[in-house]
Amino acid sequence: MNETSLALTALIFLGAAIIMVPLVRKLGLSAVIGYILGGIIIGPFCLKLTGNDTDDIMHAAEFGVIMLLFLVGLEIEPRKFWTMRKRIIGMGLSQMVLTVVSLFLIFYVAKWRPDQALVAALCFALSSTAIVLQTLKEKNIFRTQAGEASFSILLFQDIAVIPILALLPIIAKKSADEENQILLQYLPDWLQPFSIILGVAALIFLGRYVFVPFLRYVSRSGMNELLTASSLFLVIGVSELMYAVGLSPALGAFLAGLMLANSEFRHELESQIEPFKGLLLAVFFVSVGSTINFFVIMQDPMFIFSTVIVVLLVKLLVLYGIGKFFKLKIDQNFLVAFALSQIGEFAFVLVNYSTQLYLLSPQLNEQLMAITAITMCVTPILLIINEKFIEPKKIFVKNMESESHEPIKKQRIIIVGFGFFGSTVGRLLRSTGTKATILDNDARRVNLLRSNGFKVYYGDATKPGMLRSAGAETADLLILCLDNFESNYSILEYAKKNFPQLKIFVRAKNRLEAYDFLNNGVDNIYRETLGTAVDMAVDVLKATGMRAYAARRLGRRFMLIDKAMVRKLAKEQLKDQVTFTLKDSLDQEAKLLAEDSHSFDESQWNDNEEYLN
Amino acid sequence: MEIRIFLNFSVFLWKFKTLKKTLVIFAHPYFEYSTANLELIKMYDGVENLEFKDLYEEYPDFHIATFRERKRIRTFERLIFHFPLIWFGLPPLLKLWIDEVFDMKWISDEDHPLTNKDAAIIVTVGGKEEYYQKDGVYGTTIPELMKQLTLSLKVNNIEVKEFFALYNADDLKENELKEISQTIKTKLKIR
Repeated sequence: MNETSLALTALIFLGAAIIMVPLVRKLGLSAVIGYILGGIIIGPFCLKLTGNDTDDIMHAAEFGVIMLLFLVGLEIEPRKFWTMRKRIIGMGLSQMVLTVVSLFLIFYVAKWRPDQALVAALCFALSSTAIVLQTLKEKNIFRTQAGEASFSILLFQDIAVIPILALLPIIAKKSADEENQILLQYLPDWLQPFSIILGVAALIFLGRYVFVPFLRYVSRSGMNELLTASSLFLVIGVSELMYAVGLSPALGAFLAGLMLANSEFRHELESQIEPFKGLLLAVFFVSVGSTINFFVIMQDPMFIFSTVIVVLLVKLLVLYGIGKFFKLKIDQNFLVAFALSQIGEFAFVLVNYSTQLYLLSPQLNEQLMAITAITMCVTPILLIINEKFIEPKKIFVKNMESESHEPIKKQRIIIVGFGFFGSTVGRLLRSTGTKATILDNDARRVNLLRSNGFKVYYGDATKPGMLRSAGAETADLLILCLDNFESNYSILEYAKKNFPQLKIFVRAKNRLEAYDFLNNGVDNIYRETLGTAVDMAVDVLKATGMRAYAARRLGRRFMLIDKAMVRKLAKEQLKDQVTFTLKDSLDQEAKLLAEDSHSFDESQWNDNEEYLN
Repeated sequence: MEIRIFLNFSVFLWKFKTLKKTLVIFAHPYFEYSTANLELIKMYDGVENLEFKDLYEEYPDFHIATFRERKRIRTFERLIFHFPLIWFGLPPLLKLWIDEVFDMKWISDEDHPLTNKDAAIIVTVGGKEEYYQKDGVYGTTIPELMKQLTLSLKVNNIEVKEFFALYNADDLKENELKEISQTIKTKLKIR
């Protein structure tokens, strides 16, 4: 493929996505459907803009999945992963075995050739990591029971791909087809189990002692594009390394993510990788749509569709049974069963590989590919069915439970800026055990704070993706403690627009900054030159002989009046003509303060209402 | 004149139909540790014509907005004081609130912010009822300990119509608390 055609293909793919996705989103459907529809339109059946080139698809899918798993790893802490190990093996293994056995038996009874039945069963047992994880993220249910169960099963399947790849040539041999001998060179290095152990050990070593110092070194240079480059370098490097030792690159990326989940670069890496992942997965989904060969389907629609239905049903039932066995709540169980019922992208690889091994005929290859693609397209529809028809019936039960079991919802907090100001805020919060996600973009300081036991993450919150990866979508409170007014202000504007649910607390240096924040609709403004200065004045008054209680009272009154004045002056800033100046406000402030609260005249209550006194 | 009569009549009807405009003045320094009050407070939820004032939440730094309070209090027809007994007396912020908001000068005035009101007192007590008897461990009664409050109300012409002392408050079970809430609600005609 030469360069122009690559650019052209990219153009067509992206164009299809850009046109279809907003349309589909408007209808309230998942973006995945949009991508797939876009693919069908540009595919050989409609506009014939693309070839039927599954290799490119696989590359996009592979890297998309690798990045997806890296991101997933970043979100799971190693300790949590360790507690999940039983579920990964239990659910994953039982799903694989049960699905393969039932599918094989059905195909066998349907008079398929035994070896082909086995290959198809193996391929069809896998689910699509790309589709499922993307859906989980879109729905933001990653941390639920269903999310964890789906993830456990998918992770096991990703690991299982390697042994399956190794198994295929063995099946081929049994089929008494002599020609496959030549193709043994396709065999990966799986026979060397030591290389696997070595690979994992190397990864743990790298994660512990190389990745983090390396990123620290890069981040100190202060150049953003270098961090992007090193994030990509890290993910691609790890997957290549895993490939070299014969492990699944996706698994490698997941482990690398896991190793970095506790580091200060967690959110920074997330925001760097996220766009690439999104793009690659988009390309992947579009290609899935474009590979559906409708001519093959039309030749034997009965065969294709009955197989699709059988596969979906078997997978659904097996998943439901396993969910029941592992005591998932019923609504969560339905969600897992529906979400994982499709055939995964690895089937593309396995089917192609089997064809190369002469296990499958070209025609069967085409048919299996079509079946795979169809099940993928059906998933979003199945999920809608689940959402619209099955879940609502359970809602009543769910509501009852959540009412009685859930205490006050824990507030999620993000603190931006952890210098002298922010760290004071953070220390006080920490003393009550309140957890917060802390972002700071001074690599040295982050390092120092981390060694003192603060969970600080490196990252520049003024960059659009950063807040999102720090969890702004689900957070409740955003606390802006940066030195720089412009930075605080731009984060504030971005957050207000994109995460309207956030309650924002902002640090301001002085009145002038406070005006801007007030006029931007923020109520919680902390002027660093107010409280401390008033404290000082109160102590000075005490030193001049005023009674301490009277001085404190006066200080409090001063603060309230001053805050009210700033509010009033902020409104004046918006008008063309200033009618109430700073001088007026200072005069009135002095007048109000001069009268002790006890001597206030009843007739003045009305006038002073706005000063909260 | 006719209009006057009509107005009076409608005011009468309105009073008959709905609850008196009520202000609940709730003061609890350790509310988060109280089981009894957590449950009792629920009886004010969504009641029409009733405003709930949580003093320790509104004035955490004990700096009371006196004039706003004085201005607002005029509009209410009934005050409900709801608090736990702290060291045989009122919670300090409630005492401060009375100190700052009530004005001695009002006693001699005809028309002042506290005219045309009655009151109810709900006080939760940790100890048992038998302790608070003339011949009990403490040698005094709750109404006696509440003299400071009731007298302040009395001199301002506010009649205390209902007085609830809930003894043994820390050990009351949920169903007992629900029952108590119900009794208070019927007596105060809170719907």
